[in-house]
Amino acid sequence: MSTRPIEAAPPRTVQTVTFDATMDARIAELRQRYPTSRAALLPVLWLCQERYGWISPGVIRAVAERLGESPAFVEGVVTFYTMYQTAPPARYVLQVCTTLSCAWTGARELVAHLKERLGIGFGETTPDGTFQLVGVQCLGACGRAPVIQINDDYYEDLDVARLDAILDELSGRR
Amino acid sequence: MPKLTIDGHEVEVAAGTNLIEAARAAGVAIPYFCYHPYLAVVGQCRICMVEVAGQPRLALGCATPAADGMVVKVEDSERAREAREAVMEFLLANHPLDCPVCDQAGECLLQDHSMSEQGSKFTTHMAETRRTFPGYERRLIGPHVVQNQNRCIHCSRCIRFTREISETAALTYKSRGNSTFIDTFDGSSFDDPMSGCATDVCPVGALTLRETRFRKRAWKLRSTPSVCPGCSIGCNIFIDHHERVVYRFTPRENPAINATWLCDHGRFLAESLNEQAYLTPQHQGPGHPVPAAWGEALAAVGALLRGAASLRVVASANMSNEELFLARELFGRQLKGEIAVPVAAGEPRRMKNGRGEWLLAKDAHPNAAGARRLGLDTVDGEGLSRFLYGGAGLTLILDPEAHPFLASPEALRLLRVGTTVVWARRSHPVADGATWLLPTPSIASNEGTFTSSTGAVQRFAEAFAAPGTVHRTATGGMSPDCPTIASPWGAPGEARPLWLVLSALARELGTKTLDLASPAEVFTLMARSEKGFAGLVWEALGGLAPQQSFRERQHVG
Amino acid sequence: MEPVLLRARGAADSRAITTYLKAGGYEGWKKALAMGPDAVTKEVSDSELRGRGGAGFPTGRKWSFVPKDHPGPRYLVCNADESEPGTFKDREIIEYDPHQVIEGIAIASFAIKANTAYIYIRGEFVRWARILEETITEARQHGFLGKNVLGSGFDLDVWVHRGAGAYICGEETALLESIEGKRGFPRLKPPFPAVVGLFGKPTVINNVETLACVPHIITRGAAWFAGIGRAKNTGPKLFGVSGHVNRPGVYELPLGVTFREIIEEHAGGVRGGRKLKAFFPGGSSAPVLTAAEVDVKADFDACAEAKTMLGSGGIIVFDDSVDMVEVADNVAHFYAHESCGQCTPCREGSDWCMDILDRLMAGHGLPADPDTLLRICRFASGGMTICPLGDAFALPITSLVTKFRDEFERHIAAATPLPPRKLPVLPWAGPKAGFGI
Ligand SMILES: Cc1cc2nc3c(=O)[nH]c(=O)nc-3n(C[C@H](O)[C@H](O)[C@H](O)COP(=O)(O)O)c2cc1C
Ligand code: SF4
Ligand code: SF4
Ligand code: SF4
Ligand code: FES
Ligand code: FES
Repeated sequence: MSTRPIEAAPPRTVQTVTFDATMDARIAELRQRYPTSRAALLPVLWLCQERYGWISPGVIRAVAERLGESPAFVEGVVTFYTMYQTAPPARYVLQVCTTLSCAWTGARELVAHLKERLGIGFGETTPDGTFQLVGVQCLGACGRAPVIQINDDYYEDLDVARLDAILDELSGRR
Repeated sequence: MPKLTIDGHEVEVAAGTNLIEAARAAGVAIPYFCYHPYLAVVGQCRICMVEVAGQPRLALGCATPAADGMVVKVEDSERAREAREAVMEFLLANHPLDCPVCDQAGECLLQDHSMSEQGSKFTTHMAETRRTFPGYERRLIGPHVVQNQNRCIHCSRCIRFTREISETAALTYKSRGNSTFIDTFDGSSFDDPMSGCATDVCPVGALTLRETRFRKRAWKLRSTPSVCPGCSIGCNIFIDHHERVVYRFTPRENPAINATWLCDHGRFLAESLNEQAYLTPQHQGPGHPVPAAWGEALAAVGALLRGAASLRVVASANMSNEELFLARELFGRQLKGEIAVPVAAGEPRRMKNGRGEWLLAKDAHPNAAGARRLGLDTVDGEGLSRFLYGGAGLTLILDPEAHPFLASPEALRLLRVGTTVVWARRSHPVADGATWLLPTPSIASNEGTFTSSTGAVQRFAEAFAAPGTVHRTATGGMSPDCPTIASPWGAPGEARPLWLVLSALARELGTKTLDLASPAEVFTLMARSEKGFAGLVWEALGGLAPQQSFRERQHVG
Repeated sequence: MEPVLLRARGAADSRAITTYLKAGGYEGWKKALAMGPDAVTKEVSDSELRGRGGAGFPTGRKWSFVPKDHPGPRYLVCNADESEPGTFKDREIIEYDPHQVIEGIAIASFAIKANTAYIYIRGEFVRWARILEETITEARQHGFLGKNVLGSGFDLDVWVHRGAGAYICGEETALLESIEGKRGFPRLKPPFPAVVGLFGKPTVINNVETLACVPHIITRGAAWFAGIGRAKNTGPKLFGVSGHVNRPGVYELPLGVTFREIIEEHAGGVRGGRKLKAFFPGGSSAPVLTAAEVDVKADFDACAEAKTMLGSGGIIVFDDSVDMVEVADNVAHFYAHESCGQCTPCREGSDWCMDILDRLMAGHGLPADPDTLLRICRFASGGMTICPLGDAFALPITSLVTKFRDEFERHIAAATPLPPRKLPVLPWAGPKAGFGI
């Protein structure tokens, strides 16, 4: 498995956002799945996050205008859900499950190791912008604990050695 | 019509009434924070828990409709009381409890409810550090609203207001769980045209008004029912005042007109009521005005009226129905003068009534509909300029603020030709050049009725007798950047409401029928003779008693 | 028991529609179309299938609550949020045999006369959302979905709707709000979704596993299904076992086996030769059971009798090295993080519990702490809140405090006083404001 890195748009490029024809078409397609335009909000935000890497205020304004909502409403939704990034993320976001099954089967050791190896704590990013460490709640993969989600991919049944190999691979590919 | 029993009191209410309102009707108070009669019911705060016989779980007073035969226990239920105490403990666990420095104190639902629970063994088990929102403790979030997020109890009333009523959806919850806070989009300005209402609906001191906070403790204020002078919609208000200073307008419930809302334009007219530029009658001496006593002034104006070759009267849609009626009878019918009522369209304003319908303002005055109903000629700026053209006789200006045109150089030029008598409160070029100037007080020191654009004849009451000293902040507004009001008012001043001066002039001119002692008498006469007012009774133009309307502010005092 | 829902697990190309069709797939859908909606609902009722999402509500009964005469659209929603700690069973179905879910969705939609169905899947499950999309496309290409399905005149569209990181969106009304594009705030009930649901229309919400059972019930008959398990607790059930066991994973077993059998036989017993201390029987929202209670039967009613819940069937096992105060702390962190924050007792209570337990774990427990925890939990559950998330943190924490109070007391006895609080010096972060504010 090779996890795709996130390419986050630099803030000044998404200060104001105009959707291109591809985005327009995809938004229109999402829109027709629902009887209200508001209902397309979560999928459209996902689409934007795939495209820009994160949800900037400019993206919020553009989405709000497209779906006929107030920007405050859209921002309220964005900040409710933990997976929408409101700041440019690192290339690899390491989302370590810290809940019960993982916590008692090795997640603590993984976290300690990650903090030492990367020199960062939860919520922080390595200076080169490669890794960001995030503590998350149960990922629904407890049978293969401990689990780390890196960007879209699950890495399961981890131990320190395997984790090191994964990090080596991801950082080596830069 | 379901009939139910609440803490032993039987009560019959309209179908669909919730338990909070049913209990209110039965004289039992169910506490509430998130419930608001004109906003969607969300059941979030959980303070309104009551016991309903036969139901295993406690019921929400806000979300449970009254049903026939229901037996509800509020204070009589130990279980429900315990639950409400626990909710109070939860709410206060993270509340800063800074009532002494909170401007909401005295009209805070949280404070009121914790005071009313004083008898209980209420205590807190909290040993942790309180939640705070650094940087959000006192933040100006718009032109008028100051936020202190630490005090917020997450009732969502402000959010629902902007979504359901003003329709800007400008406020939102951000984040979630215990970190939830209220904010605008990306910190942009909360410039909702009705932003002040967010502070009204906020049950605590989380949202307060920049203009009024820390000016006067809520329990010192007295509230007089009145009508907003801002436009023809005629929103019902309370004038909140103390020692003859107006501090603020607050909405007074009227489902047919403004529910419990006010627009910011109308709300912030409050401070302008404190301006009183002219204190005594005066006439133009050689190059400067000379003060005069009322007796002298009335005699002189009476003489001018008797001797006038021609008479033109500029009335005003800011005048009450009674004043317009007296002016028409006296100057029009008796003295055969010409009367015009200038009407400006002004800014487009709108207001949402209790059925959720927008009412649109037709005119920038509170009583244009009354003028039309009395058959007076309404004119626009151009019409007014034609009306004033060429008359060398006597011109009466009953209100220089009747139309912006009156402040124009052209109007001054037209008026210079003849003799003018002007009634005025605030400094105005037309008044400054008048032959005779008679001081009038603000609506706070007057009494009468306005006819709203929807046709409702609405009474406003006198808050206090005309003030006698000049009060103005440095910029003329109630801005916190300016020195605040220095001292209470002295003795009542010399300004007299127009209706009183008109009936005195009627006496002076020997017109007995119009020499009346009160607006009520004028109204009664008008109701007898005018089709548009037929059948109306002064005393029955109700809604003036504060306790008759929904008002959660002013619980105390 | 021969596997039903997991019969394809391990087979080559198990997800492909060809594999599914070879195993008799979509026969139930064809049969259902011939039976008509009412007969389908009756069959499901007769099977005594109970919801696998957590509450164990009888599925046929839920379908029958949809008003018969309602004009206009109705909706079916498949709940694939799978966020309850210890739960990872729906993912197993989607990974190995997702057509069962699509077929179940089709039959259920037909039974309630819904022409649109949404699958709400948690945002983290990117891979499994993609699998579902592919599965839907396959089914559509074979004429099992879309306009005029199999010439029956019945139309059905199925869409995948991804969440974005919020446990609470597993709660059915929060889920509906989330599909509608809002914050995941659970709704005040009544009205219930069967009457006023998605977009204000009658809506049935069922879990992935529940819906996956449906095609089997239709093809093999209600009696076959009801013959598995025991009365009122029928059918096969997926149990996810995690934590301190030798063979964690998903096991398909009839309802009513004992937790001892699941943990000791199927999951290979407690790992490292240690002893069992306690386990959550159905996700972390269910009150904890101790080693002494391991012979409780794993079904809805037996768990209720033992004052806990079968919940989602996610069993989290703790060996005797585990500090149960730390478990409580971990649980509190989860729910404080996931509370939507709408209602007072849950918003304030979950956070307060977390603060107390953090302090206990930091070695600064106070003698009053266990009772304070019990008090907070008492007033955050049992109808004090809008949705059952209040109960979901209150009941397990209550059970941990009552069943392992000695461990709490031990922490408290060894506690040192809290160091004096340093008042934070906050920079004035607000905008430059005028005089007087
Ligand atoms: C806080 C909370 C979280 C829930 N999470 C889930 C979930 O992740 N998946 C699920 O299927 N049901 C979940 N449920 C249960 C659903 O509300 C609902 O009862 C279920 O989806 C109904 O399906 P069923 O009848 O097939 O069980 C949750 C309930 C609550 C109160
Ligand atoms: S700011 Fe006031 S009105 Fe708004 S949610 Fe907080 S307490 Fe309620
Ligand atoms: S809408 Fe008109 S009457 Fe109402 S508050 Fe505003 S200005 Fe006053
Ligand atoms: S119980 Fe918790 S999650 Fe449920 S509605 Fe209330 S605050 Fe939200
Ligand atoms: S506890 Fe880590 S995936 Fe469930
Ligand atoms: S008033 Fe009923 S829950 Fe808030």
